[in-house]
Amino acid sequence: MTITENILCSKSHEYLLKNDDETYTIGLTDYAVEQLGDIVFLELPEVGVSFSKGDTFATVESVKAASEIYMPVSGKILEVNTVLADTPELLNEDVYEKGWLVKIKATGDGSEQDDLLEYEDYKEELE
Amino acid sequence: MTKETFLHEKHVQLGAKMVDFAGWHMPVQYTSIIEEHNTVRNAVGLFDVSHMGEVFVSGKDSLDFLQKIVPQDISKLAYEKAVYCQLPKPDGGLIDDLIIYKLGINYYLIICNASRIDEDLNWMVRNSKGFDVTIDNQSHNYSLLAVQGPKADALLRKMGLDTCQESFTIKPAKLRNRKLLISRTGYTGEDGYEILVENRHSEELWDKILEYGKPYGIKPIGLGARDTLRLEAALHLYGNDLDENTTPVEAGLSWSIPKDKEADYNGKSVIMEQLKNGVNKKLIGLKMLDKNIARHGYDVYFNGEKAGVITSGGVSPVLGANIALAYVKNIKEICTGAVVQVMIREKLHDAEVVKRPFVEKRNKVKF
Repeated sequence: MTITENILCSKSHEYLLKNDDETYTIGLTDYAVEQLGDIVFLELPEVGVSFSKGDTFATVESVKAASEIYMPVSGKILEVNTVLADTPELLNEDVYEKGWLVKIKATGDGSEQDDLLEYEDYKEELE
Repeated sequence: MTKETFLHEKHVQLGAKMVDFAGWHMPVQYTSIIEEHNTVRNAVGLFDVSHMGEVFVSGKDSLDFLQKIVPQDISKLAYEKAVYCQLPKPDGGLIDDLIIYKLGINYYLIICNASRIDEDLNWMVRNSKGFDVTIDNQSHNYSLLAVQGPKADALLRKMGLDTCQESFTIKPAKLRNRKLLISRTGYTGEDGYEILVENRHSEELWDKILEYGKPYGIKPIGLGARDTLRLEAALHLYGNDLDENTTPVEAGLSWSIPKDKEADYNGKSVIMEQLKNGVNKKLIGLKMLDKNIARHGYDVYFNGEKAGVITSGGVSPVLGANIALAYVKNIKEICTGAVVQVMIREKLHDAEVVKRPFVEKRNKVKF
């Protein structure tokens, strides 16, 4: 079973992965990173901050441009992938194991995930 | 409608990511901007810059006409030489920046920005009244291939294009009987060539350069790396760092303007006055002191007050830092070594004023 079978994707290209401990991991989809090209900088939130679904919680800079990253669901930041501060290029290698962005505790209800797509459907939508 | 160069199919075959640029569907990158950037700095890269404009000027008043439209002294431009020029309005603001080549007696070539061809032509035609000149836009008939990097010269020699020419010269050449015009110029800060070829032979030339370039580590280079390369070399980009409200003196281009040109030209009184008495804004180079990236349009602060704006900004793969060009008010406190702040996502980030170019240029080849 690959990781993409467990994720949900937003139309703004974030993924949401449910972990065994009921927390969620958020990152950028591989498609988003491929489109951005070389990632050179990430501005990530502080642990403990809460965001609503759709809020900008981070910014990614590629060589080409700065892009905002939005919360796919409402949540409170539990953990930030601080390794990315010095090695943002990890995102270009892998967006799941090494290049995840934050872990959150979801604070909204389950219906917030209704507009998120399964990976295969997300891929299809792009074509 | 978006235009395609005659090499469009080649870019698609090479897997390039295509974007719209100045009305053209152009490759922004083939593999990675940083990798392509380093290829040009360390070896050699091939660019399709066929979107750029080629305008031929001929007729017995060619010289007088060109003297009127640019601050540079075209009367001193020798046969087969090139000069970097600007196209000012009477108020000194710039219609475009361009390179003028002398191809013969009363015969010149102008290479201008893709985004400005229409404005340039319009301006030239308006300014040609009373002059016996023919302004011939040949942009649609020519492709322009740039071969840039420290190995560019060796590569052209290997191809038999042994033109033996200095920087800022242009020479006719032939490859398998195809007529070329080879200019030792570029937009990267590296040594290199720009080769003008008729559209119908452009694919053949593209393939040949890639084939012969293999031992030199050649790669095709997209517009993304073209931008990071020119920024490291602090070369102006029209639309970012130059516009109709900025004079060449404000843009830090005084070095390109002769003080002793006799002929009158558009904007001369303003430009001469500014050279003598100074200007209110100036172009500076910035190096970010943290990992944030200054982008076009971001505000610059000095001593807590807004002092200017970023016109170009991005990463410098060679320096491993982020750099920018900015216009700031012309006060002596904002000098090399001073620290200013750039407003990035509602926070101020320190940046140091540094000398331009950011990376040493290696494009001056003289015999």
